[in-house]
Amino acid sequence: MVHSACAHISAIDRFIGVRQSQRLGGKHKPGRIGELGQHRGLRQRCAFGQCGSRRRSAANGLIQAADLSKLPETAKKRTDTVIVGLTDPSGAFTPYFTQSGYDGNVNSLLFTPLVTVDNKGVPIPALAEKWEISPDQLTYTFHLRKNAKFSDSTPVTADDVAFTWTILHDKAYDGDTDFSLVKVKGGQAYKDGKATSVEGIKIIDPETISVTLEQVNATALLYLGGEVLPKAYYGKDYKQGNLDTLKSLVTKPLGNGPYKLEKFIPGQEVRFVANENYYAGKPKIEHFIYKTTDGDTWQFIETGEQDFGGFSATQDNIDKLKKLGFLNIQPYIANNYGYIQFNHEHDALKDKRVRQALTYGLDRKTIYVDSNQGAAQVANIPASPVSWSYTEDGINPYNYDPVKAKALLDEAGWKVGASGIREKDGKKLTLHFIGSKKKTTDVLIAVAKENYAAIGVDFQPEQFADFNAQIAKYDSGDFDLVAFSTSLLTDPADGVVDFVNGNVNGYDNPKVKELYNKAIATTDIEQRKAIYKELYQVINDDLPYLFTSYNKSVYGYNGRIAGIEVNPSRGIAVSLPNWTLDPVK
Amino acid sequence: MSTYLTRRLTYMLLILFAASLLIFLLYALTPGDFVTSNIKLTAARKAELRELYGLNKPVLERYGIWIKNAFHGDFGFSLAQQKPVLTLFHDYIWNSFLLAATSTFFTWVFAVIIGVISAYKQYSWFDTLVMVFIFAAMSIPSFFIGLFLIKIFAVDLKWLPPGGMLTTGSNAVGMAYVREVLRHMTLPVAVMTLLGIGSLTRYFRSNMIDVIKQDFIRTARAKGMTERTVLYRHALRNALLPAITLVGFELPGLFGGSLIIEKIFNWPGIGQLYMQSFSVRDYPLLMGFTMLIAVLTVIGTLLSDILYHVADPRVKL
Repeated sequence: MVHSACAHISAIDRFIGVRQSQRLGGKHKPGRIGELGQHRGLRQRCAFGQCGSRRRSAANGLIQAADLSKLPETAKKRTDTVIVGLTDPSGAFTPYFTQSGYDGNVNSLLFTPLVTVDNKGVPIPALAEKWEISPDQLTYTFHLRKNAKFSDSTPVTADDVAFTWTILHDKAYDGDTDFSLVKVKGGQAYKDGKATSVEGIKIIDPETISVTLEQVNATALLYLGGEVLPKAYYGKDYKQGNLDTLKSLVTKPLGNGPYKLEKFIPGQEVRFVANENYYAGKPKIEHFIYKTTDGDTWQFIETGEQDFGGFSATQDNIDKLKKLGFLNIQPYIANNYGYIQFNHEHDALKDKRVRQALTYGLDRKTIYVDSNQGAAQVANIPASPVSWSYTEDGINPYNYDPVKAKALLDEAGWKVGASGIREKDGKKLTLHFIGSKKKTTDVLIAVAKENYAAIGVDFQPEQFADFNAQIAKYDSGDFDLVAFSTSLLTDPADGVVDFVNGNVNGYDNPKVKELYNKAIATTDIEQRKAIYKELYQVINDDLPYLFTSYNKSVYGYNGRIAGIEVNPSRGIAVSLPNWTLDPVK
Repeated sequence: MSTYLTRRLTYMLLILFAASLLIFLLYALTPGDFVTSNIKLTAARKAELRELYGLNKPVLERYGIWIKNAFHGDFGFSLAQQKPVLTLFHDYIWNSFLLAATSTFFTWVFAVIIGVISAYKQYSWFDTLVMVFIFAAMSIPSFFIGLFLIKIFAVDLKWLPPGGMLTTGSNAVGMAYVREVLRHMTLPVAVMTLLGIGSLTRYFRSNMIDVIKQDFIRTARAKGMTERTVLYRHALRNALLPAITLVGFELPGLFGGSLIIEKIFNWPGIGQLYMQSFSVRDYPLLMGFTMLIAVLTVIGTLLSDILYHVADPRVKL
């Protein structure tokens, strides 16, 4: 079998060779900026499935298409269809049961929530016409719209809302909406099987429903005001403790949003058709398609196969988009923030002065703004500039200042030792950094090593190609600094909750806790704004995180489309029903 | 033959059993699980979910559950995709197969033709040119060739589509559908063929050179046969013989998908699905897919040996 053995080696060799080049090749392609790639998780999920493209639409930033005649033929031919790219929808298109953030983008077209948010994140009515909150702020009463219908033309009733809230308390519910945080009265009893219904939920009439909470919580409104599942469809065989029939319907959604699911072609397209039963009237564009494009989207934009794409706001990208000529270009800032978390269990990092010194001593503008051709902005508080709670009033910008950093370290008792590294009580100031393997982290490491060496700090980086592996390392506590970015911040509380719930190990600041609780103990936005301002000032001084950046991106879209507005929290879902496709001139 | 087969099949089962345990352990012991990367959840909810998914049980117990279900034909439910694993295979694997089968076919056809000619005209300018070209094609990374061809043929010339399997929004059926898929698969198949052709051509070339130098070829020539008959009937047949064993090894590759080609050409194949499943630790899908490849590899090896016996009766099994 001499020949045969030779053949084995040759064949295996070829097989391995191809595989390896594929793996390496895969890493050369960075995640796309479109919808979710830049967040802390590869798999980023949202409580409301509204993992949409979170972008700001500033009316002033729009650059109109210069020359629509350059529009590719393919795009000119479409008269009633708009195509938008989406990384990887899986096919599970029922809110609360979706496991991938990308499916959330699909869900948000199929289902309209009771309450949505405007571009600043302020709650506004959607499927609910209005709601009232009782004087003790514990009881929420929702009034449904009279013309709210599911796509099979049956009305949306209080019964459906009650069903939705109830199943989210079921012990068999394995999705990622955590209703226990809302603390609905009797919710835990239902989950434990001690009650056959959730006590706090009361159906007043077919169009009115109220729910009572055990504790005041400003974030509850958006939890309660989520999507409504039709009981007649999803709940026909529901028994407490068994969601199997419901889960089998997850891929066959029946919703009440602007569009209906026409066809899902795995790995290729999600096709939608306008819903004539939509409460706000049938959308103007008959067909909408989410095209699965895992990887670069440039070629689809350039050839007109796709009408809309998101890109990092680097000068190169903006110039390239402008050059194409047939695209309207819209800049936006993401509704999240990037940060480096300190390990507060590390003795040196318990000292506020050391944390401040590390912030002053890091040239964040070079790392995040300049090396990114302007596609980011330096962050100093745990809220994005697009949020209603954002402020720069009384906020220290921590401009790069190595002299100040050195002074702070001296003051904290860290003196430069013989090796040039600062020491205190015989211990060297060495910081072990963990981060993911991507371009921004590469730049951060290169600059931070130099910056920190200049102030006498030994910076030891470690990178992970796999996000899950990085998290596992983080969970083990074996780090001093770790780089992350938050997921979408639906409510300002989302940006600060980690400082008070024990997620930031070893961090305990009573003032932060007090202000956090004060800010969610009222549902009045003006009051909350004032409290957040104070909270941000405290955090900006105390620095539980080293805040790094807000990502800036741009949308380029077919200049024929009018009415596009991208909501930083809800993506395109809010404005999509009003989009129009101008005829080719 | 039948005792051989019985013995082989027993070995195969043992190998697969051991492989499944090993693969399961490797996946289970990779840092992080399906719940870890969902950073929005509180620790309490994460614990609840681990219990619901059975991730809090000891690894061996989880393996026991998996193998028991697998014997009943139940490969589980993908956690991330919310669909049965086998349904997902059905959704994606045939797309990968289409690309792989077509490109394998072309790779073999071209490799045999080029291999034979360059062996026959060893060290000629044709041979040198072909070898240079082949080494170049093998050395250039696939993502580069892929993106380059997209730039030329799709973006600049607009002759071919830039990616995907269908024109977005197309409702083509019947022959129109077939034509559309053919147009979309042209570029990925071309790239895969280019990448694969190198080693196989060199393989055929060296086999052919070995065979041409054998005594029976000289005898054939001495009998006054035409060069064509000598080359194709006598030399090629013998040169192809060892290649038959390669056929079996192609089997897993036909279904395994190709991550980078699928990514660049936006092809809805299993390779991409696998990578996504890995990054979120979707254990049922990972296990199902890796075991499928293991089964195909084992079957492919068996097939190779049997084929070799069939093609060359001197080989005893």
